[in-house]
Amino acid sequence: MEDLKNAFDFSDFPRIDLIVAGAVLIFLFGFPLFPHSSFAMSTMIQFLMFSLYAMGWNTIGGFGGQVDLGQAQYLGIGAYTTAIMLVRWDTPFWISMPVGILMSVIWSFIIGYPLFRLKGHYFAIASIAASLVLKDIFEVWEFVGAARGIEILSMKYSPPDFMRLIFKEDIYYYFVILLFFIIGLLILNAFRKSRLGFQLRSIRDNEDVARSLGINVQWAKMKTYAIATAMISATGAFHACYIKNIEPEDTMSLDLSILIALMAMLGGSGSLWGPIIGAAVLVPLKSYLKALLGAASGMVGIDLIFYGGIIMLISAIEPKGIWGIVEKRRRRRRN
Amino acid sequence: MVLLEADKITKRFGGLVANDSISFEVKNGELLGLIGPNGAGKTTLFNCISGAHQIDSGRILFDGKDITKLNSYEVARLGLARTFQIYVASGDLNVLENIMVGCFMRTSSTAKAKSMAEAVLKELELTDIAKSMMNELPVAVQKRVTMATALGTSPKLLLLDEVAAGLNPSEIENIMTVIRYIHEKMGITVVLIEHVMEMVMKLSQRVIVLDYGKKIAEGDPSSVVRHPDVIRAYLGERYAREYAATRPDSGA
Repeated sequence: MEDLKNAFDFSDFPRIDLIVAGAVLIFLFGFPLFPHSSFAMSTMIQFLMFSLYAMGWNTIGGFGGQVDLGQAQYLGIGAYTTAIMLVRWDTPFWISMPVGILMSVIWSFIIGYPLFRLKGHYFAIASIAASLVLKDIFEVWEFVGAARGIEILSMKYSPPDFMRLIFKEDIYYYFVILLFFIIGLLILNAFRKSRLGFQLRSIRDNEDVARSLGINVQWAKMKTYAIATAMISATGAFHACYIKNIEPEDTMSLDLSILIALMAMLGGSGSLWGPIIGAAVLVPLKSYLKALLGAASGMVGIDLIFYGGIIMLISAIEPKGIWGIVEKRRRRRRN
Repeated sequence: MVLLEADKITKRFGGLVANDSISFEVKNGELLGLIGPNGAGKTTLFNCISGAHQIDSGRILFDGKDITKLNSYEVARLGLARTFQIYVASGDLNVLENIMVGCFMRTSSTAKAKSMAEAVLKELELTDIAKSMMNELPVAVQKRVTMATALGTSPKLLLLDEVAAGLNPSEIENIMTVIRYIHEKMGITVVLIEHVMEMVMKLSQRVIVLDYGKKIAEGDPSSVVRHPDVIRAYLGERYAREYAATRPDSGA
């Protein structure tokens, strides 16, 4: 159970990191107790959800350097599994979520096997294609509601329903996703220090060297990909209960995949705090842009221009994102 | 006892025969030098043995097992480690972590891998730079770290690909001490590709010479440098004369 011990061990971070992290955690727990607008609440929930997506992406994309642009499909699988099982068979969330994870992991192996024979840009392009195929299937598949999607009617249940995760007030959702967030952080912390985490970082450095050190590169990538999809799928299941109305465009689109990757990359790929920082910057930006520009017709999609700009900034200034800048500063001061 | 046996290894790249029916043996506990002009197929031979390339014909036995068809990670797990001539570290892992990756081949526990890596660092006298990043270090130290990383896998056989390239004489002296230590004190069999003849002559117990993908000579260092084919293909007359002048006692 070394992994469990590692999950709670943050001792390799400087004290300032731990103080900031502790302050953020206190803020996250305290936030709902203070007066807040429903807009702020939904933005906070979105922030926690996207942190989790980005944490999942960070395992394969950040530590492994495999720029995956198709992770939204696993969000979709998780969301659809929970929604379908709830609407059709009245299955509790705590059963449908693991089922969704299982389906995502199986699907990730089916897709991952051919995908990880590719490298670099070819891998990124193929990951987009694979996810769009699934989205197209869901758009015409009657069983999953085709393009209309699935709606969870909350009046059929009596909220607060902790088994099915159906609530009237957002504060319940907030604390559930906060719990997920903390678990996700612990998983990522354990992954970072595990054998697989080290192997992935070695793969990102140089695959030939990694192989010469006894690492089965393909298998290591597939295992990590499965971990990433499990985290994203679990959060996707939450998304279904929280949003209550899911359709392929909202859960599996390329925009979403790019946004997930972008958050991890902006914050700092391959670091523990990076995905959270990225989500903290981009989610409020996304929400306010939507609120600001949503009213003006013809402005739809303008947020994509911002994202494109951010991608260019990252690649021009610091490929390791905001956290990369912090680490560079620290190293310079030490030397 | 024979540790590695290569039997008529042939590797083609299109029309080019990079390794042409090369056979040789490496005995347990030996230190073998592999020399030859650029493009002779030395690194290709390393790639074939370590499983990075699949050979077109021939057979490779390591420690009694047929490794001809194995992937490089499977070969590594059997105890055959190697270094790379060109190794650019992106700087994500520090020195200790780099070596831990190698140690993880033998253990799944992070704490154990760390203590194994620390032991290797101590042996190669690299403990002071454990927390440094690869790209912050001078080339000579980087080469020692790549050797330490390979040693982290606890190999039986270590293939060193031009670890002395680009180093100054005192650094070469230093790396020779390290190689001797690995060979004698750690008891690891070593095959080294090297252009620095002084190092090959001083370290190797036996030398193999490649030219245009073929093995043109094999034997103890002093007789190999007198071999007419080796002088013609690689060393040149001047070196052979100088060598004969400095070491008149050796060879026939």
